Amino acid sequence: MIKDSFSLRHPLERLVGSETEIIQDGGFGAILAYAGVGKTALLIQLAIYNLLSNNNVLHISLNDAVKKVGLWYKEVYRNIAFQHSIEDQEQLFETLLPHRFIMTFEVDGFSVPKLEERLTELMEQNIFRPHIVLIDGLPFDVSQKESLIELKAFAQRHSLKLWFTVRIQRDETPLGIPAHFNDIEYLFEKTILIQPEGKDIQLKALKGGKTDSEETELFIDPTTMLIKENKWIQHIT
Amino acid sequence: MNQDITKFRNIGISAHIDSGKTTLTERILFYTKRIHAIHDVKGKDGVGATMDSMELEKERGITIASAATFCEWLGHEINIIDTPGHVDFTIEVERSLRVLDGAVLVLCSVGGVQSQSITVDLQMKRYKVPCLAFINKCDRSGANPEKVIKQLKEKLGHNAVAIQIPIGLEADFEGVIDLLSMKATYFDGKNGEIIRIEDIPGDLMELAGNKREELIDAASMFSDELTEAILEEKEIPEAMIIAALRTGTLLRKLTPVLLGSAYKNKAVQPLLDAVIKFLPCPYDTENTALDMDNNEEPVILEADISKPLVALAFKLEEGQYGQLTYIRVYQGLLAKGDNIYNVRTGKKVKVGRVVRMHASQMEEIESIPAGYIGALFGIDCASGDTFVSSGLSYTMTSMYVPKPVISLAIKPKDNKSEVNMSKALNRFTKEDPTFKTYTSDETGDTIISGMGELHLDVYLERMRREYNAQVVSGVPKVAYRETITRKAEFNYTHKKQTCGAGQYGRVAGYMEPVDEDFAFDNQVKGGAIPTQYIDACEKGFRNCLAKGPKLEYPVTGVKIVINDGASHAVDSSDMAFQAASRGAFLEAYSKAKPVIIEPIMKVVVETPTEFQGAVLGSLNQRRGIIFGTQDEVTSCVVEAQVPLAEMFGYSTVLRSTTQGKAQFTMEFATYKQAPQSVAEELVKKAAEEKKNSQ
Repeated sequence: MIKDSFSLRHPLERLVGSETEIIQDGGFGAILAYAGVGKTALLIQLAIYNLLSNNNVLHISLNDAVKKVGLWYKEVYRNIAFQHSIEDQEQLFETLLPHRFIMTFEVDGFSVPKLEERLTELMEQNIFRPHIVLIDGLPFDVSQKESLIELKAFAQRHSLKLWFTVRIQRDETPLGIPAHFNDIEYLFEKTILIQPEGKDIQLKALKGGKTDSEETELFIDPTTMLIKENKWIQHIT
Repeated sequence: MNQDITKFRNIGISAHIDSGKTTLTERILFYTKRIHAIHDVKGKDGVGATMDSMELEKERGITIASAATFCEWLGHEINIIDTPGHVDFTIEVERSLRVLDGAVLVLCSVGGVQSQSITVDLQMKRYKVPCLAFINKCDRSGANPEKVIKQLKEKLGHNAVAIQIPIGLEADFEGVIDLLSMKATYFDGKNGEIIRIEDIPGDLMELAGNKREELIDAASMFSDELTEAILEEKEIPEAMIIAALRTGTLLRKLTPVLLGSAYKNKAVQPLLDAVIKFLPCPYDTENTALDMDNNEEPVILEADISKPLVALAFKLEEGQYGQLTYIRVYQGLLAKGDNIYNVRTGKKVKVGRVVRMHASQMEEIESIPAGYIGALFGIDCASGDTFVSSGLSYTMTSMYVPKPVISLAIKPKDNKSEVNMSKALNRFTKEDPTFKTYTSDETGDTIISGMGELHLDVYLERMRREYNAQVVSGVPKVAYRETITRKAEFNYTHKKQTCGAGQYGRVAGYMEPVDEDFAFDNQVKGGAIPTQYIDACEKGFRNCLAKGPKLEYPVTGVKIVINDGASHAVDSSDMAFQAASRGAFLEAYSKAKPVIIEPIMKVVVETPTEFQGAVLGSLNQRRGIIFGTQDEVTSCVVEAQVPLAEMFGYSTVLRSTTQGKAQFTMEFATYKQAPQSVAEELVKKAAEEKKNSQ
């Protein structure tokens, strides 16, 4: 297996600590940013890390079609493979695909019981059993608190880790974080803000960040949307 | 011919097989005076309906070929294009849906939205075709247009808005109330040709008022002017509602619903009015071509006759006077005597007779302007070809034609069938670039190949029916290939000394995997192999590709690099170097870890959500990798990649697991290495075949 010739570090390790501490089963993580700053790209980097770590990833998109999400993965993976000089990248990508499942819903059509029904169908037939679930495009307005509480129970029932993208508005608060997010923040173990700083795009841990080391800054390269100078894939020689 | 393009409509009439599509088309042609008598579909007079050109169509419940017919209504010209109701024939579907600008979705007022209505609706959605709905058969017992409108909303997710209500139903169906003009319309005379407009019957007044309110409310979403008029409680002009409904329809955000009974000659004329009022003219739709000089970049075409010509040949028909080519002009003007270019072949063609079709009869015309559909005589082309003026290299369809992935041996039963079969094959290969035919060198059988089991099935059936060619077909064969997975070196000397001149040639270098079918690189320096023999070396290697050493499947994805060799002044020849190359290929091939690769299909299943689990299971059982599921309002789309070998008979399985409510499309995606178990099975089979043939 080509996968076995790598050792991996979590891409966000410098920011939020070592792999085991990132989030626990049943836990939530969130990536917050303005529109177009790179939430989905970062989410997919987390997905690829998990795929390379032999974890099954369920990607739920409430914005894009399956085909578009698939193209996102291809693009982000291609950049990662280039950044980390991976040979046989096509072949490796093919081996990752069976471990990824994309589900898309219309925003209004998404509900936790529906998600659970779909997931049960997959698991009962032994088609797919995720370890981590990524939810992209869930609107984080006041009405979502109930759904998030249901999702928390769902995550705990199935021992899943859930990551969300949260779109924030420029004018709401100094950081742009919606006021009502404070109400639900307790549900999350890690929250990470992607924030443009002049020419740079910086990642900041709002909750669950590392405090003990100086290496807590991470930046995103705006051309590739990958985390800069962060080689998290090491070749085992 | 009317030169005002706003007075032109290219429409399709889509429906499932028993909703009365043919009867409706027949009545439309009658009222627009294109035909002078009405024939029943299953007519006692033996004439049959005008648009029904293919028998197979009716029998299988699918429309395979598309016919175009032309008629006039209230100073507008309407081209009716028959649309396939089956999603499997992707090329056919794509062609007919791209030439029409709008559509009428015909539904049965008793049966309502059935699985095939779902299919045709999905096609419309996919090609973004604005549509009207016509609820037919309101005279039938059990007719319930209200229920059908509800299904349109719930099952198909349409914002369906009735613009008529019925006067009576079932046997009492008399006519319709037009909610725009608030008048009752009756259809008198033997064939319903006399329209009588009266005031709304008193008992329906309240219902009509309420329904009109609903209609205006829905239309107001698309017009600020209308919203303002409602708020100011002004009188609302009919034209304002029509304009708002038209905007909504063109955006595909509203579907006006009409009703009637084509068979009883009731309310077909108002449908024609609605086609003119609500469906787009060629100006309202955006059409794009691909610029071949610019990496197939999309270019927007303008329906302007002064611009250079861009036209698409979307259907071929073999007629009494030779090949008839149906063509839609997207830009410019196509006139008799013009010189035009076929983008695919690069050949210049002179336009001979230009005609306009109405089912099987034709009318000579001088030219076809942008936005119009006509037919040409005597043009040798294939279906899907683009014709342009000199200097343009736009194409309406991508030049990429996938290679066939499945093949079948066929044999004619007798001499007559042999002639007919060859005629049919000649024609089908012209019509469909994904359908290929050749003669097997080994068995002498005629092999047909295409994109799937059903694809070939339909052509076999057409051969029997249209060409009266009785053929026997073998078992479908998957187009397996062999390829190598790593680099391997060769250094082979071919040396033979018999009486007379000897043979000598040495070839050295390596082979490695590559993305193309085959690549050859000559890096020989210092004349180790004389230049005149290099071509012979390439030929020698190329000849090895036809039959792979592993299981005799064609070899692909091999790059050969030669970098050394030797020759003899007397004994070297083309033949000797070809033989040396063959030896070198065999020497390196086994070291390069050859594997069998199999065609993998991209399969997309569209199913009502309640069957999602069953569909996922059926794909999973077939070695499929499921990429994802897309939940829509009432349906769900499953995308997967499945080996072709596992897809035989899938349409039957899908039908039975989903009560016939799901459809799937399948197209070639890629070749992937076959799993060990499959490869072993193939080795076994090959050995058996060899044994049997000895």
